[in-house]
Amino acid sequence: MEDLIKKIKTRLILSPEAEEFLYSISKEKTLRKGEVLIRQGQVVKNTFFVSAGCLRSYCTDKNGKENTLLFAIKDWWISDYIAIHTDELATLTVECLTESKVIEFNAKELDGIHSLFPEFEPYQRHNLERHVVSLHRRILNQLQLSAADRYDLFLKQYPEIEQNTRNFHIASYLGITQQSLSRIRAEKVRK
Amino acid sequence: MKALQIVSYGEIKDSLVFNELSKPAVQSNDVLIEVKAAAINPIDKSIILGNLQGILPIPLPSTSAYDVSGIVLEKGDGVSNFEIGDLVYSRVPQEQMGTLAEYVAVDSAAVSKKPGNISFEEAASIPLAGLTAFQSLEAAGIKKDDRVLIHAGSGGVGSLAIQYAKAQGAFVYTTTSTTNLAWVKALGADRVIDYKTEDYMSIAKDVDIVLDTLGQNYSLESFEVVKQGGIVISVVGPLDEASAKMLGMSDYKLPEALAKASSDRKADYKFILMHPNGAHLNEIKSLIEDEKIKPIIDKVYPFSESVEAFTHLATGRAKGKIVVKVS
Repeated sequence: MEDLIKKIKTRLILSPEAEEFLYSISKEKTLRKGEVLIRQGQVVKNTFFVSAGCLRSYCTDKNGKENTLLFAIKDWWISDYIAIHTDELATLTVECLTESKVIEFNAKELDGIHSLFPEFEPYQRHNLERHVVSLHRRILNQLQLSAADRYDLFLKQYPEIEQNTRNFHIASYLGITQQSLSRIRAEKVRK
Repeated sequence: MKALQIVSYGEIKDSLVFNELSKPAVQSNDVLIEVKAAAINPIDKSIILGNLQGILPIPLPSTSAYDVSGIVLEKGDGVSNFEIGDLVYSRVPQEQMGTLAEYVAVDSAAVSKKPGNISFEEAASIPLAGLTAFQSLEAAGIKKDDRVLIHAGSGGVGSLAIQYAKAQGAFVYTTTSTTNLAWVKALGADRVIDYKTEDYMSIAKDVDIVLDTLGQNYSLESFEVVKQGGIVISVVGPLDEASAKMLGMSDYKLPEALAKASSDRKADYKFILMHPNGAHLNEIKSLIEDEKIKPIIDKVYPFSESVEAFTHLATGRAKGKIVVKVS
């Protein structure tokens, strides 16, 4: 939690009351590899800040195949924001790929923090803007870049993640087959 | 719920009927699976034909098939390793047979999460054949650089056994017919023997392990190709004494010729009775997710055409598994 507080303090002046409120709506959790935080088809109440480890959110299509939406490593947030903002059941499953430490927040209480502490409003807007930027980049990369370029970008964005993920996680994140991923890796080694 | 039931023993078309049944009740250790896909195997056909009445008495009517993939819909109080909504696959235990239905209750010890990189249809094709291949080669103590002969590489068990043996680092010989040579080779076998034009016994010599998926004369011939100190594993040949004991046949003796061949060659003979096992399916899941093992499907039938799926199985010409998409 200290890490998150420190991070928030770089963006705003945090009053002791606001800090206390953050503690009151959060819970630190240590999770086992494979533990599921959000399950597709169920009600979603929480959002998670990653203190350590690696998590993945994915959607299972009607044929039963998993499509990875994103990975979350230290200092990232992860949840099913479609479910949170539309009150629908979860479209995504969120699972731990490694033993992980997260801070769990009730998403509605965290979203409403600016009504109690207005200094959070620009901070929350900034986070939302960054989130939109990153999503738009992901869509454009998917539309415009070659699979090899997308893989290079992925490695820059998630350094060291390959030790914690299965090939099919990465292939499904990039939208390519596992054979294509193996080929791209082999070509990189040859270069 | 709708279920395909065996109502009498005999010809496939006369023996199978769609019936309306109530949803199965969940016992403490069970999960209720909403069936997405089921696969059929040669044993399902043998049951319908009545060939197994002696060793596998099944009260009629009974819902057919053992292999399933689907979604956990309910769970018993004693189930801690699965949650509602989990995507799973299983070879259901004998007493819970009946995966050609909209729902099936299964002991959670026989269930595993399904591999995430394959479809429900592909996942349903794995359990029975995959467990047979896995448990056979594990019973043989397979290890890196072992030389293994796998009979009938294009069969349900053979095709998965080749891939499992390669994943363990073994050198694999396999037999198949001329038309299947290319795709069996593509599974990773090191030496594919065309049994129509080649003599497998002069090619695969002194192997560490023979996996006999054919029975009849092949069980005995296995001792001509296995090395001294090697092992012959059979999934269809004569029972060994340990398996016979498990089936309640305490005074059973291994057929004389086989006992002699085994003793002359100083090589063991083991019969494998595949047993449902969720932990083993979980190991197979990892191998599938790493693409060490790929499911091979001949054809997927809609639920309404399940009887046609059995008719196709009965031709014995399927290359890979026959799957029924239930929902």
